[in-house]
Formats: sequence, structure tokens, C-alpha cells
Amino acid sequence: MATTTTKPETLFGKKIRRREDPRLLTGTATYLDDIKMPGMHHACVVRSPHAAARIKSLNVKPALARPGVTAVFTGADVKDLGPIPCGASLPGLRTPHHHILAQDRVYLVGHPVAVVVATDRYIAADAVDLIEVDYEVLPAVSDPEKALAPGAPAVHPQWPDNTAFTFHQEGGDITGAFAQAEVVVKQRITSQRLIPTSMETRGVVADWHAGDKSLTLWSSTQIPHLLRTLLAGILGMPENHLRVITPEVGGGFGSKLNVYAEEALMAFVSMRIGKPVKWVESRRENFLCTIHGRGHVDYFELAARRDGTMLGLRLKLIQDLGAYHQLLTPAIPTLSVLMMPGLYKFKNISADIVGVFTNCTPTDAYRGAGRPEATHGIERMVDILAAELKMDPAELRRKNFVGKDEFPFQTATGLAYDSGNYVLPLDTALAEIDYPALRREQQQARASGKLMGIGLSTYGEICAIGPSPATPAGGWESATVKIEPSGKITVMTGASPHGQGEETTFAQIVADELGVDIDDVVVVHGDTAIVQYGIGTFGSRGTAIGGTALYYALQELKGKVKKFGAMLLECDDVALAGGKCVDERSGKSVPFAQVAAASYRAMKLPPNTQPGLVATYFWEPPNFTFPFGAHVVITDVDRETGQVSIRRYVAVDDCGKIINPLIVAGQVHGGVAQGLGQALWEQAVYDENGQLLSGELTDYALPRAHMMPWIESSHTETPSPVNPLGVKGVGEAGTIGCSPAVVNSVVDALSHLGVRHIDMPLTPEKVWKLIQGGRA
Amino acid sequence: MKISGSFLVPVPQERAFRLLQDPVVLARSMPGCDTLERIGDNEYHMKMKMVLASISGLFDGKVRIADSRPHSSFRLIVEGAGRIGFMKGDGLLTLTPVEGGTNVGYEGTVEVGGTIAAVGQRLLDTTARMMIKRFFEKLTAESASSGAFSPTAIL
Repeated sequence: MATTTTKPETLFGKKIRRREDPRLLTGTATYLDDIKMPGMHHACVVRSPHAAARIKSLNVKPALARPGVTAVFTGADVKDLGPIPCGASLPGLRTPHHHILAQDRVYLVGHPVAVVVATDRYIAADAVDLIEVDYEVLPAVSDPEKALAPGAPAVHPQWPDNTAFTFHQEGGDITGAFAQAEVVVKQRITSQRLIPTSMETRGVVADWHAGDKSLTLWSSTQIPHLLRTLLAGILGMPENHLRVITPEVGGGFGSKLNVYAEEALMAFVSMRIGKPVKWVESRRENFLCTIHGRGHVDYFELAARRDGTMLGLRLKLIQDLGAYHQLLTPAIPTLSVLMMPGLYKFKNISADIVGVFTNCTPTDAYRGAGRPEATHGIERMVDILAAELKMDPAELRRKNFVGKDEFPFQTATGLAYDSGNYVLPLDTALAEIDYPALRREQQQARASGKLMGIGLSTYGEICAIGPSPATPAGGWESATVKIEPSGKITVMTGASPHGQGEETTFAQIVADELGVDIDDVVVVHGDTAIVQYGIGTFGSRGTAIGGTALYYALQELKGKVKKFGAMLLECDDVALAGGKCVDERSGKSVPFAQVAAASYRAMKLPPNTQPGLVATYFWEPPNFTFPFGAHVVITDVDRETGQVSIRRYVAVDDCGKIINPLIVAGQVHGGVAQGLGQALWEQAVYDENGQLLSGELTDYALPRAHMMPWIESSHTETPSPVNPLGVKGVGEAGTIGCSPAVVNSVVDALSHLGVRHIDMPLTPEKVWKLIQGGRA
Repeated sequence: MKISGSFLVPVPQERAFRLLQDPVVLARSMPGCDTLERIGDNEYHMKMKMVLASISGLFDGKVRIADSRPHSSFRLIVEGAGRIGFMKGDGLLTLTPVEGGTNVGYEGTVEVGGTIAAVGQRLLDTTARMMIKRFFEKLTAESASSGAFSPTAIL
């Protein structure tokens, strides 16, 4: 028999096409709205058109009289359920009781007031208009700084100062740092409210089985298990009577890392009418009722020496929370504080957060969740300091970077950066664009009246969120690997991927570890009745934590497979390769399927070994991971129109080891698209009465394909020591690296006109006005 | 949103003042107005259809006339709500005799909420202008045909 002693080719690091894509691209995947059931009813939600009002009366009779309408439920029906949970805990946090439906008062436009249930979705939608609600309109406030001013309308009457919490964090000696400073630069920097806008809106199907008193709930969510636990609490139902299934999810970006009123509401409706019920969010509802992101007003002060040594950073952060806390609302700005020193080694920081209620949609985790705001702040401040000192921004960064021999590096905010080589991606990106030549070109361009900018951002981020002590609900992840009797392999991951491609990357890991064909591996996720408890996918944790849990489960299973293989081959040890167990000394082998069959047939068992081949592993990470990178953006600004065009976009990201470069590229592209959206176009705009003016895709400037520049993406690979795969995570990198690079580039283009800072989005109008001001 | 402007109505001031407060004339002149019924002194119940950009819907609301200073000025307060949101308008109309008729100046604010605000805000300004223009054009046409009309006769 031929022997196979050469090391077989592994799939780790290979461009394997996403196994998810054929079904997604051919319309054969099942999204929430594809679910149809016999007797299924449809629900539409009546929502407040006012940002603040008292409900004087509510008449549902005309809606109930409409043929096809089965039921209408109002706040009174659900007053004992809930509240909608907030998982964040901060000292002194004020948490308004968040009912599933409004009781006697509404706090934001879109606030759910009643639900209409009908046999047909169109009937339900029409009947919504027949509900008569008499509102007494009250004054509202939509701007967080105005909400803090004395005499502002109180969002929640019991807290007239509109302050949900204040939070102070300090590290090092901030007073000493500013006392030593030879130069201090200050800037107010906003990070505007954004609307996450996943392609698929939210949706829920609930199906109550009266016979066994169990409820199955399908939801377009990122966290099926956490949703089940929290929903059981809201409904007062034993958790083991509840099954949550996540169908295909058409994008989440953090907006589906939540528990929403409609999830509890549909469960309630199905239990009351005894029929399955479906609710699918419209795009207008999505803009009003699914969480928003960002919403910062930040006041930064950076202290430095004249030679460019950065000494300390002060931040006053005003977080627009909206009217309620959703699952993580108050926690998001605390992530900004953790990340505020960026990649720099100064050890003195001070941050004060004020969390402010406004009559607006709650803010919560949106791609990057607090880290884009922090990175935008520090990277803008470094450029402002460079301008002040007349230093090259790249040189200033190099001077202050944590050195590559200083890891693990303890930050002033209490983190331990795992590994890094911060100069490398920056120098790689600058070499790519020929930085000195571009600076010369810029001089010539200015001489001829053209506006051209070179912008750098060197970002760091916190991924693999996170160690359990740092999270509200556990920061581990789980995996089960089953080798079926036929030798086929089923992986069940507690992470609930929804676009991150883990059905592919996880299968790559399995194929490498067990030496089997990738097509023999199926990855199952998103069903609490099938998959062991898990946390979910967010904060770039899927691969770094879920993948590591899988890796350890595979190690356990490998041991057992080897025992059965050795038993069958009558040897001491075997290797797993080419779909076989191989005795490397004799060269004899037995196919994997035969080993699996023997383990289940169990005619004979190795000593101290149970039949079957199943292993489950819950992995608790010892630390976060800290990816980093450099984005360089070259812009041309039209002097006459203020239009910004991106000439080149160079991204050099270091996300540790890369399992699948195609998937990493996809994450970078998508991340940059959302970063560019914030930098150049997107903004959730409220009028002073709390009306959302950018309430639809016609008014909210989401980037389109034709607005995207070519992204020159490459990588450096600094493995993480935190997990055995060496991976770090890349879900938010593009977004975090992008916005400061773009703004730094445009400010650089206008700097000789006296422009020092521009708040996002960089609309042509805003840029044009600055050019005009500069001219005068 | 603030609105202001003026329009020439080709009738004498006294008649222009009466026309502008005549529910039958107003119902015919206000674009989209279905019904206007008196529910109290200077207060009317109104049903109208509003079309703004891609959205349209019925509005149910009230029209109120206040601070009436016969023949020279009055305030017109319109409030309505419906499936596409709500609107509130409050305007002062001032009448001055000019050659060829009466100059009707208006100045006020319009506030909207709900879907109209979320979707139609950018078109609100032009739509409001267009509706006001159509209103005065219709009123001018009405003024030519309703010389002998007495509003109190039908109310």
C-alpha cells in the first residue's frame, strides 16, 4: 500500500469561494419573509407620528370592524410584559421602563402604539389607518447638546436634566501631562447619527403551539440564543419552551444585535390568537424603529511637546442615546473611551461621558460600535497636532506608535494590546502611493490652484469581543463537531453568522484539522433547538472566538478518532490526512468513514472510550484581539463645487492570520463602503421637533456601487497570541480606518486655505463654503 | 417652515375678506379639499387629500379663523392628521386695497410630521407654494362667479 507521508496542502489561507453564495445569489435561500405557514396571520404596527405626546384616547373599533382584521392590541394588553431589556450596566444609570407598546405617552416618532393583526398583510396595513389616536402634543428635543441646556423639554419627565448617566475614566497622570505640555490642541469633533440600513429589514414570525405550550420564533437577528433567554424573561415563559430560529439574515451590522419590541409583540400576538403571525419591517419603519449608530459630540484636547511627543488626551463625550436604552445603548460610548489612545504610547487619559436622552431613535452598536468614533477623534487630533507643529503627519505617528517590541502593551484605558507592528502597514501604504512624490505633486497642484489632499489614518481596534468579564452576557463561544456514522461532519456553532462566511472558513478549519474534504463538512447555526448555547456574531468575534472554540472541539475529537483508527489498524498512533487514518510506520490506512462507522457500531471500543464521535467546546478567550492598519486616501476637491473625489484608496490591514483572503477582502470592501458613507454622505437628520427628515432611501445618502472608489487592499500578518489560530478579526476594520483617512485627506487639501477641521459628512455644500471662506 | 407671499384678488377689499372666510368658497378653492363643515364659531371640520412626492393620503382636520379684524386681516389656522402624518399651518392674512382689487398678503409657518416629514420635507416648500398659488387662482375664479353669494344663507 502506498504511503502518504508528505504533508498535504491545507486550506488555511486559501481563497476558497464562499459556500453560502450560490444559494444567496440564486434566490434559493430562505429569508424571514420567505417563511409561509398555513393559517399565518400578518401584523402591522401603529406608530406615533409625534416625537413627544400624551395619548389622550385610542379607538380601535373602526379597525376591528374591517373584514379580515382578527385582532388589535394596545398598550393596555401588554402592560405586564417586559420591559425590553438593556444589558448595559453603568453606575447610576437611569433606565426608563421600555414597554412593548406605548402606555399613556410616546417618546419618539415611530413609537409603537398598537398592533393590528389580519389575515392579509395589506388588510393589516390599511387597518392601521383606521385606528384613531388622539394625541396631546408635547415639546420635544432632538439635539443632545440642546437637551442638556437648562429648560430643555424633558424626554422622560422624571429626569428633567435628560441625563441618563455620566461616566468618568482616567488613566495615568492627566494633570501632569497637561502641565508638562508645550502645545495643546483642542477640537470639537462630531460623529453624526447614522442609519445602519441592512439590505434586509427586520422581521419576526411567531408560532405558538398550545398543545405543548411552546413557541417557535423566527427572527432576523444576530443573537438567537441571547434573544431566547431575554424573550423568555419578557414573556414570563420557561426558556426551554421557546425556540428561536434565525433564517438567512440579510445584513445586521450591529442593528440586529438587539432585542426589539416587535419580537416580544409577535410572540404575544401568536399566543393570543393561537395562530402563526408574521411581521416584516418596512424600510420607513426600519429608519425609525431599528437602532441608529454613532451620535457623538466629542471635545478633544491633546497635550504634546514641541518635538511631537504626545503626552495626554482629554475627552468630553456627549452621547446622543435617543429616547430609550436598547440592549447595549449606554455601553457603546464606553468602548470609545477604551479605544481613545489609538495606536499611541502616551499613558495619560481622561474621559467624561454624558449620556443624553433625546426624542429620537435609540443609538446602539453599528459597525465598529464606539471604536470608529474614537479612532476618528484621535486620528483627527494627530493631524491637527501635526498641522500645529508643522510636522509631517506620518512622521508624527511613527514617533508616537507603540513599538513592535513593547507587546503586550498596557494602555492607559486598561487594555492589553496583544501584538502589533504599527509602522509596517503605514510604511507599506506610503510606499504603495510613493508618498514623497505625491507631496511634491500636491505643491505643484496648489501652485496651479488645484486642491489635492493626502490623508492618513492608522487605526487600531478591539476585536474578538470579548472576555466574559468585559461583556454583559458572556464573551465565550461554543462549537460542537459531530462525525456522523457515514463519516460526514456536522459543525454546530454558537456564533450566528449572517454574511461573515463562516460556513466556509469553519469548514476550512475542519478540513485541515481532520484531513477531510471540505465538501464533507456542513456548518449549522442559528437554531436554539439544534445548536448548543452560544453568544452570537458581533464585534469581530465569530472566527476569533467561535473559530477557536471549533478548533479546540476538533482537538478533542481528533484524539478520539485517532483512538478508533489505531484500534482498527492495530497500531499505537495514526495521522489524519486525505480522508483517512494512516499508520505512518506501516503505511496502512483506513478510510475516515470506516472509522466513524466503527465508532457508532461499537462492536469493539478502545479503552476508556465512549461510542460515537461528538465533541463540544465552550472557549473563554483570555483577552481581546487588537487588529490595526493604515488607510491612505488621495482626494481631489473641486474648487468650484466642493465635490470630493477619491483618486486612490489604499488599505493595508493587519487582522492577524488570514483564513480566507476572499472573505477578508469582502469585509474590507463592505467596511470601507460604510466608512465612506459616514465620511462623505450619510446623516440621520432630525428637525427640532424630533421628526426624522432623512426618513427614506431617497433622502438618506447611502453609498451606491458607482460611488465607490477602487480599493487597493493588502495585508500585513501579525499573528495574535490570544488564540491558537492567530486570527484577530476584520469585520469593522474598513469602517474604522476609513472615515479619518478621508477627512484628513480633504482637510489636507484645504489646509493652505486655513481649514483645520471639517465635520462629517463632507457634503459639497460644506466643503464649498469652506473654500469660499478660505478665499476671502 | 416659514411661508410668506402675496396675491392679487380682483375684487374690492370687503368682498375679498368675505370670500376668504366663506366655507363654500374655501372648500372649492383649497386644493384637495373634500368637505368643510361648520362645527362652531369660525371653526370648521375639514377633510382633504394631500399629495406630496410619492405619498398621498386623506387628512382629517380643523380650520379655524381667529383674530378677525374685518376687512383688513385675520389668522387662518389649519390642523390635520392622517395616514401620512400630520400638518399644522398658522398664517396671518392681510388685505389691502390696490388698483384692480385687493392685495392679500400672507405670512406664517407650516409644520409637518410623520411620513410627510420623513419623505417629503425637501418638496414641502415647493408643494406649499404651488398649493397657495392654486388656491388663489381658484379663489379668483370663484370671485368672478359668486357675486351674489351669501355665506350665512347656507350655514
